[in-house]
Amino acid sequence: MTILTLLIPVTLVMGAVGLGAFFWSLHSGQYEDLSGDAERILFDEDDKPLAAYPPGHSGTTKEKTP
Amino acid sequence: MMSNLTRAERANAMVIAGTGAFIGLVMAAAGRGDPMGAHGWIVLAFCGALFFVVGSAYEDPEPTQDRTASYYDDPTKVGILIALFWAVVGMGMGVWVASQLAWPDLRFDAAWSSFGRIRPVHTSGVIFGFGGNALIATSFHIMQRTCRARMPDQVTPWFVLLGFNLFCIVASSGYLMGVTQSKEYAEPEWYADLWLVVVWVVYFVLYIRTLARRNEPHIYVANWYYLAFILVVAVLHIVNNLAVPASLTGAKSYSAFAGVQDAMTQWWYGHNAVAFFLTSGFLGMLYYFLPKRAERPIYSYRLSILSFWGITFFYIWAGSHHLHYTALPHWVQTLGMTFSVMLLVPSWASAGNALMTLNGAWHKVRDDATLRFMMVAAVFYGLSTFEGSFMAIRPVNGLSHYTDWTVGHVHAGAMGWVALISFGSIYALAPVLWRRETIYSWKAVEWHFWLALAGTVIYVFAMWNSGITQGLMWRTYTESGTLAYSFTDTLVAMHPYYVARTFGGLLFLIGACIGAWNVVMTIRRMPSETPERDYPTSSESREPALPAAE
Amino acid sequence: MRVISEKHDRKVRPAPSGPVTRAERSASVRPAANGHGVCLISVPNISCGACVARIERALIDCPGVVAARANLTLRQVRVTLTDANTDPSPGYEALAALGYTARPLDPSDTEPASAQQDGPDLLRCIAVAGFGAMNVMLLSVAVWSGAEATTRDTFHLISALIAVPVVAYAGQPFFRSALVVLRGGRLNMDVPIALAVLLALALSLSELLQGGDHVFFDAAVTLLFFLLTGRYLDQLMRDRARSAVTGLARLSPKGAMARGPDGSLEWIALHAVAKGMILHIDAGERVPVDVRILHGDTDLDRSLVTGEAMPVAASPGTELEAGTLNLTGGIEVEVLRPVAESFLAEMMRMLSAAETSRSTYVRIADRAARLYAPVVHLLAVATFAGWLLVTGDWQVSAFVAISVLIITCPCALGLAVPVAQVVAAGRLMRSGILMKDGSALERLAQIDRAVFDKTGTLTTGTPMVTSCFEGEAEQREASKALAMQSRHPAAQAIAAHLPEVACEVADAVEVPGFGVEGRVHGRRARLGRARWVAEIAANPQAATGPAFAFEGAPALSFDLSETLRPGAVDTISDMQSSGIPVTMLSGDDAARVAQVAETLGIAEAHHGMTPARKVGVLEDLRDRGHRALMVGDGLNDTAALAAAHVSMAPSTAADAGRTAADFVFLRDGLDAVATAQDVARATARVVRQNFGLAIAYNCIAIPLAVAGLVTPLIAALAMSASSILVIGNSLRLNGKRAAAPLQSVERGPVAIPA
Ligand code: HEM
Ligand code: HEM
Repeated sequence: MTILTLLIPVTLVMGAVGLGAFFWSLHSGQYEDLSGDAERILFDEDDKPLAAYPPGHSGTTKEKTP
Repeated sequence: MMSNLTRAERANAMVIAGTGAFIGLVMAAAGRGDPMGAHGWIVLAFCGALFFVVGSAYEDPEPTQDRTASYYDDPTKVGILIALFWAVVGMGMGVWVASQLAWPDLRFDAAWSSFGRIRPVHTSGVIFGFGGNALIATSFHIMQRTCRARMPDQVTPWFVLLGFNLFCIVASSGYLMGVTQSKEYAEPEWYADLWLVVVWVVYFVLYIRTLARRNEPHIYVANWYYLAFILVVAVLHIVNNLAVPASLTGAKSYSAFAGVQDAMTQWWYGHNAVAFFLTSGFLGMLYYFLPKRAERPIYSYRLSILSFWGITFFYIWAGSHHLHYTALPHWVQTLGMTFSVMLLVPSWASAGNALMTLNGAWHKVRDDATLRFMMVAAVFYGLSTFEGSFMAIRPVNGLSHYTDWTVGHVHAGAMGWVALISFGSIYALAPVLWRRETIYSWKAVEWHFWLALAGTVIYVFAMWNSGITQGLMWRTYTESGTLAYSFTDTLVAMHPYYVARTFGGLLFLIGACIGAWNVVMTIRRMPSETPERDYPTSSESREPALPAAE
Repeated sequence: MRVISEKHDRKVRPAPSGPVTRAERSASVRPAANGHGVCLISVPNISCGACVARIERALIDCPGVVAARANLTLRQVRVTLTDANTDPSPGYEALAALGYTARPLDPSDTEPASAQQDGPDLLRCIAVAGFGAMNVMLLSVAVWSGAEATTRDTFHLISALIAVPVVAYAGQPFFRSALVVLRGGRLNMDVPIALAVLLALALSLSELLQGGDHVFFDAAVTLLFFLLTGRYLDQLMRDRARSAVTGLARLSPKGAMARGPDGSLEWIALHAVAKGMILHIDAGERVPVDVRILHGDTDLDRSLVTGEAMPVAASPGTELEAGTLNLTGGIEVEVLRPVAESFLAEMMRMLSAAETSRSTYVRIADRAARLYAPVVHLLAVATFAGWLLVTGDWQVSAFVAISVLIITCPCALGLAVPVAQVVAAGRLMRSGILMKDGSALERLAQIDRAVFDKTGTLTTGTPMVTSCFEGEAEQREASKALAMQSRHPAAQAIAAHLPEVACEVADAVEVPGFGVEGRVHGRRARLGRARWVAEIAANPQAATGPAFAFEGAPALSFDLSETLRPGAVDTISDMQSSGIPVTMLSGDDAARVAQVAETLGIAEAHHGMTPARKVGVLEDLRDRGHRALMVGDGLNDTAALAAAHVSMAPSTAADAGRTAADFVFLRDGLDAVATAQDVARATARVVRQNFGLAIAYNCIAIPLAVAGLVTPLIAALAMSASSILVIGNSLRLNGKRAAAPLQSVERGPVAIPA
């Protein structure tokens, strides 16, 4: 099964990318408020993007006014 | 629609379309006398048409408003319409393929209409044409909404959407001319594959760029599912399509692998295509539109994240269950079997999560056909993954393999899960995109739902019966130890089921046509009063957006 | 018993420990790296996504606010302000207007506790171990299903390449902890774990080099994965328990305005405040040290001492404890004692003493570990010795001894408690009860006494108007109009009781300690203390409750009373009938306490309790061998909450009280106490079963291992199977339906003059 010498590394690399993504998500506080985040998508009645938030800061910002 | 692009963007679009047209011309010239030449003309026509469309609107007034104050929905709108177009074409082909199996004369004695050529038109048409466009369109919508940010630019999404459709057109027209790599779900030849790599990388980069611009710090879980879909499909596509063209002026190429190695790669790809094309992305759809439509948060958000990692991992090695009892080493088969069985856990976690979300909102499911589409999709997802895990067990596969049972499993997943969740999402999305209060006709949605459900059930039951009958007949021996039935005997036994399948498919197709009509009417109907939402984009939302690609 | 029909409304209930001062709010703003200011606000009644959206939208419209993010899990809001000097008050007002209780949070309090632990974070370890376990498992499955010869050797090699770094990274929490105890000459559960993992790795590596066919890489890595998961869940349960002392400390102002000999006012830091100094304390500020009033009248919030949120009047000569909140008028005071001897400092000492004594509680899992670890080591050593004696081959003996270690590794044991507790915590959460510490569930299951605070716990702590004078509409309108002028709880209760009117008040003044006076329809009118009102009234008879009068007209009075918390009657009688005697402790006076005790059927009720005496009662119970549950909400209960075997507080409790309590219930009904107790008992049962399962597993596995029959496949299967069994058993805790929170407003007004 020489093909595995290709498939196994490819898979491992993909796994490592996944692991990296997970580390990043932990680091950037993606899991701080899961119950709130599940709800958030339900509340965007105005259907408009928000203004960019101040760099280095997270939070809901004012809505963009066209 | 063009009025949303600045003049510089129009110029960019023209450069890209022009380059495409030039490449088409080169292909047409180099591949004279070969199907590649025909493909050259197709590319030239497609890109030329785009060049012309953009060029004729080049001098139109530029957008005046601040575009960042709204989402960019034009590509989503066009994508939805193209998806519906492919649904009708692909499923129509399916019905034709099914009819050919019941009544072989329906081939009409032409080469292009033979079973072997139109079958891939069906599979690619529904998976890539319908499923792929639905995925791309919904991903554009979901990534902007959950990031609360507009896409970074306006040309890239068009490039992705139209580029992908160029691939689909080249692929299906190739099948009719007999162009194929003979790898299921990866039939298109080398130049189409290369083109898809370009499109796909741009798609991935576009997604990441949008995420980077997000104004909502949290990345909603649906995005993870879409990202996995894009990233893994890219890797799979590249590895499985490693091939050496026989000549640069022809459509023929040879795979980089041979024999059982090639089979292993193909099914490593094939099964992961099921996982990441037909499952992951559609789960993303489910995790966004189901809570939205039911107006309740997903039952366990934590579980949705956990099952994401579970699915991502377990699927990777399940592919070898497609090669039970082949030249593949026994242990590789066992490996595939083990992981396929374990895969049931995260799969059912997702299906259960979706159904538990609806728990407590059953009155909505009862009243709202759109939500019912999504609920039934989740049920079929649970059903087909259970069936899949069961079929992956080697002795069971000994009965099911090469029979219609597999086809039944495929369509329980493809029609029951993939198509239903897509239709549900489209119905949920259309009024939002085109700023209508509701869909044009809720009765039509109701009709579509029951037709689709009946069609799926008839199809799947017919195939289960046919498959098991077939499998059992094949392994029945006489007392003297010879086979009891000839191959023709099994065909005769299967005929009624094939007719039933065609009928079920026809119901499903009618439903899809009703759906397409309903969405078009939703767009064309002038809102009787100004909807409460103000228009987000400067696009002429009242005017029907016509797909540019067709 | 009359039932008041007025619907319960969160909005009219004032925060239990009085308004937060502007200074306190401003002090909570911290500068952020990019020049903005950040403040964290605790909002205990955020309950759904709609709240999140509403709060964020309201906040971003406030002046000075750049961004706002509500956290539904932690029930906090993080507000980013233009800069660190921006006044966050508009935000608080916006929250109050929406009906949310908001209190400032110190960002330093909310730093995750795990920040102190060195080495990588547990979740990262789990992710790495999970990645490793999956991939090594995959290769192992391939080997078990028959990959041979070179393929097998290659797979072993790849497994090693994955396993070694994974163990080196993800094993750190265990290695560190094992090293620490070994240095101290002791043993804990981490020692056999660390040994088993390391030896399994070493053995596999040596097998690999010799081309042998048994490697345990998968066992080593999956073991780590399961154990880390257990440890992580455990940490989740522990992390939230913070010291309540910091909560109290924040009640103390950082300094005070001192009056110099020349009459000038100067700000001095707290530690510089000395006995005999004269201080000026403005309305809305907290008293920094123990003092006596020299000049000025005011109303005080003495909830820190008495637990009563109802303001009390104070005049020259009154002594005030540090931490008292000065509500209505500026006062001049004389310092009685230095800072270190103040009432507040005393409270903090008491609290930290109480917290230390509770921390001696040994958790079930640790008790199990103390027994288990030595047994496992002895067993492994004995196995080695036995095999060496019989076979004389030390290599084989080592192999078998190591398999014993691996298979007895307390995987299921490590999961037995945390999984059950996490499931129980989820279940409690769904019925509106937050748990801060896993061991609290264990402790709650053991109680045989219950102690309740009165105000704010058995009663809602908010006065309500139970009867209103019969006078003319004009008088009621005027009362309402005057009541609207004051933030005094009695005035707010009156305002809430009377219908909305459009009526102007001219020249309104609030006379601290007495009431509000103003002109309505051109006539002088007063609303407030009966005696004060009687001064201008036609009939100088003093009623007990607050009164209203137009000048020269008869005085008319209101009846205010406390109301019982929903479910109080049932909860108390259920507890007593199930053999848990109930005691009531209150800082309130004898008459009111007796009244409530009688209504609820509580035999033992103590009145006039200071925080120290409350702690005394609990310590006394403990000394007599009882395990008491304390339920309380006031600041004055904080130390008692910490001193009890286990404690609960309503979410309306003071910040320090919520921190000190093991459980916080978000719903109104007191039935939360019963629910929590049920869940605790069920959890204790499941934990015992889990231990039973884990031990049963060992009883089967150990003989196999000692006999040398354990192949890597059996080890891996046994380990996963026992862990999954334990998890499955714990999930049963979810099965029972959580009781729906009490909806009906069952509140018997106890006729207590307020
Ligand atoms: C109108 C409904 C449909 C009909 C009548 C239909 C019919 C068929 C037929 C006759 C075949 C060939 C079976 C064989 O070779 O024996 C087939 C194959 C297939 N169809 Fe469909 N189909 C329908 C809808 C769909 C949809 C919606 C999807 C996917 C989203 C789909 C995906 C596939 C796939 C993947 C195969 C290949 C199965 C295999 O190789 O085992 N079909 N279909
Ligand atoms: C737990 C999940 C699943 C498992 C373990 C599984 C397993 C299997 C197995 C054992 C086969 C038959 C292979 C053979 O005998 O040739 C198969 C075929 C197939 N399955 Fe699934 N399945 C799963 C879910 C799904 C889903 C959700 C879809 C969605 C649409 C799907 C689509 C397909 C397709 C298209 C084929 C046909 C491949 C071919 O052309 O031969 N599967 N699957």
